[in-house]
Amino acid sequence: MIAYILRTLIKMCVTLFVIITLVFFATRLSGSPMETFLGEGLTAEDRELMIAYFGLDQSIWQQYLGYLRGIVEGNYGLSFLERRPVADIVAERVGPSLQLLASSVLLTVAVAIPLGVLAALYRESWVGSAIMALAFVGYAVPNFVIATFMVLVFAFMWNLLPVVGNGSWAHFIMPTIAMSGVLIAALTRFTRNAMLDVLGQDFMRTARAKGLPETVVILKHGLRNAGVTVLSVLGLQIAGLAAAGNVVVESIFSWPGIGELLVQSAITRDYPVLQFGVIAVSLAVVVINALTDIAYAVADPRIRLAKA
Amino acid sequence: MVDVTQTPVERGAIATLWTEANTIQKIAALIGLALVLLAVLAPLIAPFDPLKQSLIARLRPPVGFERHKPGFWLGTDELGRDVLSRSLYGLRLTLMLALLGASIGLLLGGTLGLVAGLRRGWTEDAIMGAVDLQIAVPFTLIALLILSIFGSTLPVMVAVLGIAGWEQYARIVRAEVRRITELPFIEAARASGGPPRYIALTHVLPNIVSPLVVQFTLALSNIVILESTLSFLGLGVQPPTATLGSMVGYGRDYMPTAPWMVIVPALMIILLTFSVQILGDWLRDRADVRLRSR
Amino acid sequence: MKALLTTTAALACLATGALAQQITVGAANVSSYLDPGRDHSNVGSQFYYNTFDTLIGKNHDSIEADWQPALATEWTMIDPLTMELKLREGVTFQNGEDMTADDVVFSLNRMYQATFPPYQVRSKDRLANFAEAIKVDDYTVQVKVEREEPLWETLLNLQQVMIIPEDYTKALSGDPQVAEDGDFEAFSLAPVGTGPYAVSEFVPGEKVVYTRYDGFWGDKAPLEQATVIRIPETASRITALKTGEADIITNVAPDQLGLIDADANLKTEGSATALFHVMIMNVNHPALEDPRIRRALSLAIDRDTLNEALWYGKAIVPSTHTMAEMGALHQPDLVTFEYDPAEAKRLLDAAGYDGTEITFDTDPVYYTNGLLAAQAIVEMWSEVGVKGRVNTTSTWSGSSPDLMVRNWSNPMYFADPFGSFGVMWAPNGPSEGEGRFNTDAEYAEIWDRFRFSSDVEARKAAYAELMERIKDNPPVLPLYRPYESWAMRKGVNWAPKPGHIPYVLDFRAGSISLADS
Repeated sequence: MIAYILRTLIKMCVTLFVIITLVFFATRLSGSPMETFLGEGLTAEDRELMIAYFGLDQSIWQQYLGYLRGIVEGNYGLSFLERRPVADIVAERVGPSLQLLASSVLLTVAVAIPLGVLAALYRESWVGSAIMALAFVGYAVPNFVIATFMVLVFAFMWNLLPVVGNGSWAHFIMPTIAMSGVLIAALTRFTRNAMLDVLGQDFMRTARAKGLPETVVILKHGLRNAGVTVLSVLGLQIAGLAAAGNVVVESIFSWPGIGELLVQSAITRDYPVLQFGVIAVSLAVVVINALTDIAYAVADPRIRLAKA
Repeated sequence: MVDVTQTPVERGAIATLWTEANTIQKIAALIGLALVLLAVLAPLIAPFDPLKQSLIARLRPPVGFERHKPGFWLGTDELGRDVLSRSLYGLRLTLMLALLGASIGLLLGGTLGLVAGLRRGWTEDAIMGAVDLQIAVPFTLIALLILSIFGSTLPVMVAVLGIAGWEQYARIVRAEVRRITELPFIEAARASGGPPRYIALTHVLPNIVSPLVVQFTLALSNIVILESTLSFLGLGVQPPTATLGSMVGYGRDYMPTAPWMVIVPALMIILLTFSVQILGDWLRDRADVRLRSR
Repeated sequence: MKALLTTTAALACLATGALAQQITVGAANVSSYLDPGRDHSNVGSQFYYNTFDTLIGKNHDSIEADWQPALATEWTMIDPLTMELKLREGVTFQNGEDMTADDVVFSLNRMYQATFPPYQVRSKDRLANFAEAIKVDDYTVQVKVEREEPLWETLLNLQQVMIIPEDYTKALSGDPQVAEDGDFEAFSLAPVGTGPYAVSEFVPGEKVVYTRYDGFWGDKAPLEQATVIRIPETASRITALKTGEADIITNVAPDQLGLIDADANLKTEGSATALFHVMIMNVNHPALEDPRIRRALSLAIDRDTLNEALWYGKAIVPSTHTMAEMGALHQPDLVTFEYDPAEAKRLLDAAGYDGTEITFDTDPVYYTNGLLAAQAIVEMWSEVGVKGRVNTTSTWSGSSPDLMVRNWSNPMYFADPFGSFGVMWAPNGPSEGEGRFNTDAEYAEIWDRFRFSSDVEARKAAYAELMERIKDNPPVLPLYRPYESWAMRKGVNWAPKPGHIPYVLDFRAGSISLADS
């Protein structure tokens, strides 16, 4: 187990190093920050001045080595635009993103697992088909379509819900639903499939044979065993979709989150913010993935055995 | 034990498939077929040139509403172009992009996954490392960087959409290759000196067709949604060319004032992904049943 | 449930607006830093006037140059190159410091003798003629120029020379006795001025909170608090106005005006902003080197139709690069730019245009209607036989040698042709610096006469000569002054004032009142 964790850690570090390197060079290939920073209309001379001011007059290798040294020393640089430490800027944005992520995961689990179980139990009837059809629709609608539509109906027409920022619990309703659509759809399907796998297995038959009520059998034995698979899928989905998928939701609801920050800094070429933001997000994803792997292995001895 | 030589998806069994399908699956199949037909026939059935502007007839509503302009059944957009014609051509381009993107992903990911599964060692580590990388960095950002480095032309867009899903194929193929090559009789074939390529072709390929087809259908709808997200950020296919995604992305500002610009392409996106997903799931269920029954 | 939600929404409204003397503004963009000296962006212009003062003020109700005492109470020329200004006594900064000649000299010289690169860049294009500011006594300063200056008041009324506190700024980082780059960087995150509102909270790019400064030397600020928040999405901004989360919203596109005007609780205000959306053409691109091609690209564009279709006729289409705000220098009689498709075709033939594809670059969102106009222009080109293509890019391509055509804006940084055309198209200015515009000795000589002649007629004549040059060999076509709109609750009395530079959110006394509080 310790060897496994060590190996995972080393892999994580290598992945992060490669990401840092790729992002560093890709940002510099993608365009210059100069015009964005001073509005339009810089003379050639002005540009030289500003390039030196941002430290971009050094050779790219010097910049790269300097950046690596900074990371080791815990100095991630100043935003070109705001001239304050990028770590502060990113830290400000992580909280709201995590809040939204947490509420979305809660909603997803609360909705998708019962739906998935029902869909598995009533596999042959219209209930199962209807649930699955619903799940497919959830998967098919782009999140900004759900979001814009909700804004139109619940805020613009009916004036029920606020649309700007994260000030109160009411502010969470629409962004959470918009974020969760895809997650619910995916998790419902996986829960259903996992339950189907479990329902046919021996220990379920044993439990029924012991005369336990069907509900208990399903909830206690079925769900617990299916839960392992569901957990791992949920972890992957959160990591993948949450980090990438909320730029749009954040823009629509003026949510001060990390996704929007990353896209904005990529568009304005604020290299230091972009680099640190990507590192932070990928670190989170890599860690969540690793934890999911480990949890998976711990939770289900059969898998560990099978893997060995 | 598993009969590895049997092809999970039998050919020429469309009639059987149809009779076995439930109502939702049948509806999905019909919707999918209709959409493909509309896309293929777009140049024949679209009433207008999708790029033709008319600045004096901007933002006209669909038939049946006040200020409707006859002939423009679904209304006009912010430059007075015909929404119906743009939707049809948009559907066509969107389908083409999705097919191309998913195929590139399949080829790239499938090949790399196969190599990783067969070769092992540092090759496998490098490929799987790349998979981890792709999972770790939000794809929107990768797309953004690629598009700003290479410019957002159609070929670059296709490449971006292709890269979007390769890691899924790679994971599936590698896992399957590893599972199969660890089966005793393959070990035996390997031990007796069978070349890896031969083993791959004869034993592995037939077994991964089913999961790959399923992944391919998933990727199709993911790509449609990704393209619309990029359009939302202003990074999608260049205007004035229409895709379903760009119509929704650029039209969203008009949701309160001219919702017809958005509703038709949004519905098409939903129907398209919906039917593709149902069909993909259906295929998977059939493959699962087969596996279970063995 | 519905009742509960309604209550919550109502509470949210109470918390953000509606209460006495408080408003919330939903802006499309919020600055990433607040320093009037280094900023000249359209986003930044919104924010400075509430918090900072200039030495010489202006009556913003009029487009005339009606100068008013502000931090300086009187000003006189003591020799042709020196102005002496008497400072207002009893003025305090929002942090309590007294404003004296030291602060004024510090603020002016940070621009006139700039060492901080962002200031250097900003001061060169408009303040190059200003040598230094000198303290005479605690309430008297002198400002010296290199050459006789025809625009004294104009250039002392600039946003870039608003007054900031010396001691406070110097103490922000490093040595409190010395002005370092770090001080100015820190200042832009915690700005302090002498204006009627202090910036009490600033989240870069997200939010600016103004709180009334009771020690203000002039008329008391009408609002206790004004909060500007960023709401980037158009539909969300309009919705926020409807739900009451915002009392005023900025950047309402012309296509959305009808929607708001149809709501009995809301209204819109707007004006043709003192800024041109322009089309620039790279004179050095091989395909565009022949001036006849560029003249044809310009003559093919029916700007009046663009105005009618995209702006509902509310924009202003100019005959030359001039604006009514420029007073005596406003020359609407000059005809530099026209619509003449027949002439365009003739020029294309004469130049032997071979069907080369001409790309028109535009940012997908930056300019209101920018992408629409680009698509419409390319369509208009096709009617005279030019093959065009729109290329959307979020990168500024104006400095690329591959640039063919793109959109840009020429704002009026101050009310003089020098503040608009004069900055953007100066010899060695930004356009020439980016390699898409060429000047020669003759152009430089005309430009110099236009910039420095003390006789207004001589300046006008020189400007007309410059316009002739532009007409014969065009690098630019001003499309129109866009009609920029703001929307608000009916109870808010606010409108953009004609005497301001573009986009200023002016909440000072006499500029805003709340009817229902």
